[in-house]
Amino acid sequence: MTIETPRGALRRPAELAPTIDVRGLVDSEGGLVDRAVFTDQQIYRQELRRVFAPSWLFLAHTDQFHKPGDFFTTYMGEDPVIVTLDRNRRVRAYLNSCRHRGARVCRADYGATRNFTCTYHGWSYDLEGKLVSVPNKAGYPESFDTGEWGLVEVPNVDSYLGLIFGTWNPAPVPLRESLGDMAWYMDAMLDHDDQGTVVVGGVHKWVLEGNWKLAAEQFATDWYHVNMSHASALMLLSPTGKGPKDEIVHRTGRQYASPNGHGAGFPVHPKNRFDAKTVHQWTDYAALRERLGDARVEGPLTNGHATVFPNFSYLPVNGSIRIWHPKGPDRMEVWAWTIVDKSMPPQVREAQRLYNLRTFGPSGIFEQDDGENWSEVQAVSHGFVTNSVPLNYQMGLGSERDDGRHPGSTSELYSDAAGRTFYARWRELMTTPAWHEEGK
Amino acid sequence: MTDGIRVAALDDITEGEGIAIAKAITGTDDDIALLRDTDGSVWALDDTCTHEDASLADGWVEDGYVECPLHSSKFCLKNGEVQGLPATRSTCPHRVEVRDGEVYLFPNQAP
Repeated sequence: MTIETPRGALRRPAELAPTIDVRGLVDSEGGLVDRAVFTDQQIYRQELRRVFAPSWLFLAHTDQFHKPGDFFTTYMGEDPVIVTLDRNRRVRAYLNSCRHRGARVCRADYGATRNFTCTYHGWSYDLEGKLVSVPNKAGYPESFDTGEWGLVEVPNVDSYLGLIFGTWNPAPVPLRESLGDMAWYMDAMLDHDDQGTVVVGGVHKWVLEGNWKLAAEQFATDWYHVNMSHASALMLLSPTGKGPKDEIVHRTGRQYASPNGHGAGFPVHPKNRFDAKTVHQWTDYAALRERLGDARVEGPLTNGHATVFPNFSYLPVNGSIRIWHPKGPDRMEVWAWTIVDKSMPPQVREAQRLYNLRTFGPSGIFEQDDGENWSEVQAVSHGFVTNSVPLNYQMGLGSERDDGRHPGSTSELYSDAAGRTFYARWRELMTTPAWHEEGK
Repeated sequence: MTDGIRVAALDDITEGEGIAIAKAITGTDDDIALLRDTDGSVWALDDTCTHEDASLADGWVEDGYVECPLHSSKFCLKNGEVQGLPATRSTCPHRVEVRDGEVYLFPNQAP
C-alpha cells in the first residue's frame, strides 16, 4: 500500500489475497457471462481489491456540505468512509476506522462536528484527520508519534457537476478523463443551467438480496425489461389504464457503451418530456436545446437509464441518483438521493420529489419490480447446475457504431452492448494487479 | 478592574457556540471560554477541559451546559460543575456582564 502506515514487523502473507483468473468467466465478444461472477466469495473479495479499490466511486453530492465539519458517512466498496469539509472548506474523505482498535470514529449517518472521536477509548481526530487527543497519552512509549496515527485519507477526491467521487488509487486516471464521453450523457441531467443541482430530502437506504452487478448492469444496459417487468406500473400510470400508446412502447433509441464500463440508454424522439406534469410544464425545452443541443434534449435529457462504472447509477426523468453498495456476493444496499435543478421553484421541486417517491425509491412502483428481479436471479443462482449454465448478453451483438449524433460507440435502445462493455471492463480490472499489489 | 475587561461584542458569539479569550488578555492561568447559551445568555469558564487537552470554546453549548468537543464531558455554564465522565473535576467559572451589546469579563470573580 502506498498509504503510509507504520507496519513494524507485520508482513501479510500472499495466501490472504488469492487471485482467481477470471478471463474465462466473461466472453464479452460472444456475449456470455458465467454465473460464478455473481455468487463466488473469492471472486467477490477480489472485486473489492481490484474493482472497487482502484476505481472512482461515488461518495456524495456537494449540496450535502455547506460549512466546515458538515459530514456524511458512506462506503467505498465495503470500506466505511467519512466525507467532510475541512476548516478550509475542502472536501476530504477518510477511512471511518480508528487507528487504535478499529471502531468507527463517526457513527452518525450525517451531521456537523468539530472532531471525530472514537467511542471505544476516546482517540479523537480533527477535520484534517489528524490525531489530536489520546487519553492516557503518558502511557505510550517515547517513539509513539501521533503524526503517524491520523485517519487514513482517501488520496484522491474530485467532483463532477455536484457529484463527488473518491478513489483509493494514489495515481488514478483523472475523474473527468475516466468519465470520457459519459460526461456528455451525464450533462443532460446535471447541467440544465448554470445553477446546478441540489439534493431534496434525505438518503433512502434499503437492503436487497442480489449481487451488486445485477443492478449496476441493468442501469447501464437494460431498457429491454421495461415493458415486461413494469407492465402493471405502466398501465397504472397511463390515462387509459391499458398502458402507453403503441408509439411509446415501441419507441427506438440509442444505448451508449463506454470502454470504461459506463453505459446509458434512452429513447430518441423530438417530443421526449419529463413525466411529472409540473416539471414538464416548468421546463424550458427551447433553452435546453440552446444549451445542450438537440441530440441531448431528444435523447438522454429525460427518460433513460445510466451507470457510471462500477456502482453509481441515475435516472434523469425523476432525478434519482443511487449507489449499489456491495455487501457480500449475495446482497447489496441501495442508497438513493433525489436531486433537482437548483433553479426549480419549490412547487416544481416538490412535484419531482413526489414523482420520484412514487416510481423509484423503496416503495416506488417501478423500483419494486426491479428489486424483485434481482433477488429472483440471485435466489436460484447458487444451485450447482444452475450456476454452471451461462447467461446470454447477445442482444445487439455487432450493432455498436459511431452514429454521428451521440458521442462514443452506441447501439440500439434494446441491446446488451453496454452490459458487454461493463463486464469487459470488470474482467480487465479483475485481471490487472492493482497499485497495492505492485512489487508483491 | 471593577468595570471588567471588554473582550468581545455580543454579536461575535453565535448562540450555541463559544470563543476563546487568550490568557494574555485575561491574566489568568488558562484561556477563558466565552460561551453563549441557546437562550442568548453569555457565560465564562476556564477554556481547557479538565479531562484532556481540549478547548471548551469549540464545544457544544445548549440549555445551561457546555459539552466538550472531544470526549463529551459536560460542565454547568453557571458554576463550572462537572456533570459526568470522562472528566471528574469541575472547572472554574468567571463573572460576565453584557452592557450595550458589549461583553465584559471579570476574571477570577465568581459569577
